[in-house]
Amino acid sequence: MPNGWTGKILRVNLTEGRATTEDLNMAWARQYVGGRGLGTRYLYEEMDPSADALSPENKVIFATGPLTGTYAPTGGRYMVICKSPLTDAVACSNSGGYWGPELKFAGYDMVILEGRSTNPVYLWINNDIVEFRDADHLWGKNTEESEDAIRRETDPQARISGIGVAGEKLNRFACVINDKTRAAGRSGVGAAMGSKNIKAIAVRGTGAVEVADQLRFGELVFASMQMINESPTTAKALRGMGTASTVAFANSIGMLPTNNFQKGQFELADNVSGQTIANTVLNRNKGCYSCPIGCARVTETSGETKWHGHGEGPEYETIYGLGTDCGVGELDAVLYGNYACNLYGIDTISAGGTVAVAMELAERGYIPAEDLAEIGTDLKFGNADAVIRCLEMMTTREGKFGDLLAEGGYRLAEHYGHAELFMGSKKQDFAAYDPRAAKGMGLGYATSNRGGCHMRGYSMKVEWFAPMEERLDPFAEEGKAAAIIKLQHDAAGIDSVGMCDFSAYAVPPERQVELYETCTGEETSREEWDKIGERIWNLERLFNNRAGLTRQDDSLPPRMTDEPLSGGAVQNQVVALEGMLAEYYRLRGWDNDGNPSAETLERLDIQPG
Amino acid sequence: MILAHPEKCVACHLCEGACSFFHDGAFQPAKSRIFVHDFVDEQTYVPVTCFHCADAPCLSNCPTYAITRDADTGQVAINDDKCIGCKMCMVACPFSVIGFNEDKNVSHNCDFCGGDPQCVKICTYDALEFTDFESNDWMIRLDEAERPKAEA
Repeated sequence: MPNGWTGKILRVNLTEGRATTEDLNMAWARQYVGGRGLGTRYLYEEMDPSADALSPENKVIFATGPLTGTYAPTGGRYMVICKSPLTDAVACSNSGGYWGPELKFAGYDMVILEGRSTNPVYLWINNDIVEFRDADHLWGKNTEESEDAIRRETDPQARISGIGVAGEKLNRFACVINDKTRAAGRSGVGAAMGSKNIKAIAVRGTGAVEVADQLRFGELVFASMQMINESPTTAKALRGMGTASTVAFANSIGMLPTNNFQKGQFELADNVSGQTIANTVLNRNKGCYSCPIGCARVTETSGETKWHGHGEGPEYETIYGLGTDCGVGELDAVLYGNYACNLYGIDTISAGGTVAVAMELAERGYIPAEDLAEIGTDLKFGNADAVIRCLEMMTTREGKFGDLLAEGGYRLAEHYGHAELFMGSKKQDFAAYDPRAAKGMGLGYATSNRGGCHMRGYSMKVEWFAPMEERLDPFAEEGKAAAIIKLQHDAAGIDSVGMCDFSAYAVPPERQVELYETCTGEETSREEWDKIGERIWNLERLFNNRAGLTRQDDSLPPRMTDEPLSGGAVQNQVVALEGMLAEYYRLRGWDNDGNPSAETLERLDIQPG
Repeated sequence: MILAHPEKCVACHLCEGACSFFHDGAFQPAKSRIFVHDFVDEQTYVPVTCFHCADAPCLSNCPTYAITRDADTGQVAINDDKCIGCKMCMVACPFSVIGFNEDKNVSHNCDFCGGDPQCVKICTYDALEFTDFESNDWMIRLDEAERPKAEA
């Protein structure tokens, strides 16, 4: 058996109800590693990128990395990769929890879902025994009920990754939920799964993941854990307040998107800050598989409002999506909305962004009264009832308005004649950072291969979060292209090897390379690792280009480029994108239309195919 | 004994990985001798391993006397040479903390990794402690797991 990888993938033909085991393409594994890179390589090879994302031609790939399932710090991740029903670009959504390692223990690096099942099914992977199980009785159930029911029918220790009703109804930003509270959140991967009539993948694995150099791997793991324990970002901020630790900082800078990015500061930010959460509603921490950071918030509503529930969350992005971006400063409501999104199986970021643009459209009078009447409460910023009601409506596609919500903020805004009010890129909602306060983020959002996203060029690492002496001026456009490109490559590496992005705050790429080498026995180098990241990025770009995306899609809405933002540390700022974009293309070795040149592809050993 | 402090556990399962890695050279929670029970809805996570019971049911049920308890340390140990792989100990154990090695056809329990328990070493959250606590105090440990909910 190979080291790190299991060397086997499971190909699931849902049309014919047949599952087969294949050898992993090791040549691709060496070039693309695993997870994001390897899954994208298979997707690029096996589907026509111009096919409809909700058609049987789409493939949904669940891909682990070679480190997934080992005790490498944060080595528990997997990715869900497909063509996105939201953006029509490549989708690559990352999740933690415990499902990924279980797949490795069952003996598979990857599961490829193809075609479409005639009837609702779920997949039951019990080591080497794979069954298609009837899921009629599960269709319509939320993710929690569904998991409980599947475990009763399979194995109490089975790990489950699947969709809620939103995915069944093909909500374009429906997500995949595993272990009840972890999400492969973005880009509507849940809808792609739903369109194949598959409710979930249940897996139980009692096998092993092996490593090549046990002694050295062990030493590196302990040394890396020490780095994590000594880094204030991982050990204090993330462990103490979770990702929510960013709320107060972003607000003081003037970067916290409020009321659909109309402002960068929220007067009620303190109510929903990481400190407030830790002081009032946090029961304890939780950690994903093999994680020494343990940042997850295990919470419960205060009991003092009408919102009642308990579960995991909220993350910073959720506080923005269901909170500040909708003008909602009621913590219990944000919690309740978070739990609802987990049960329904919807991305909290896009759900929030969609409601926020709907609120702005309503306040400006662009939505007819009869459409608004379907909601039953005022669709205006600050109305938590409206947020929660919209979450329900968008899950089941209730009425005309629910149906529009489920199509996502861009299509909804376009329907009402004002697509320019949608705050996103490639039809995917931005994350919780106003790019007018951090220009690098603007470039990251615009060039992200999966649309508006902070994880594709997380400029904070070189702008606001960098130590003063290393910091690039957040308000400057110069020099951002090179920095963003490097961040994009680093992220691709982490996303492919199976570790969580947060480990990278303490564990540098050099160490990731060593962990990869001692685990798999494959030799590589720091330079090669960078090249792998660049290769992955370019392959994603090729997929998108063949799907029909062009330079026009590397864009930001006019609010970002034409409406100055002020507040906090921000004074009259807009994003001057064109200059950054031109430099970005030049440095990447792409032509003016954003197509990778033949030289670039050859250097990266990519056959355009 | 390996003493668990469930209130500090975050259910990361690093202990399971460290255990199987040390004993069997690979990552295989199915072969781990420590398990973390994740009660998601109750928001409670409980690491459980061999309690080295004073009156160990595994010991009294073993047909070949392969299981013994050390009079001084209290450690309950399984002798690979005498074990015939009948799994009676696994049936008898009330906590299901005895595992089975299919390759060697013998059962196994926590043996403190020979004196430097790897699970304790790797747990960043201080949820595991290596002490010489008497095993019949496991009742107190489980009660403590309930306590945070009652006080909340």
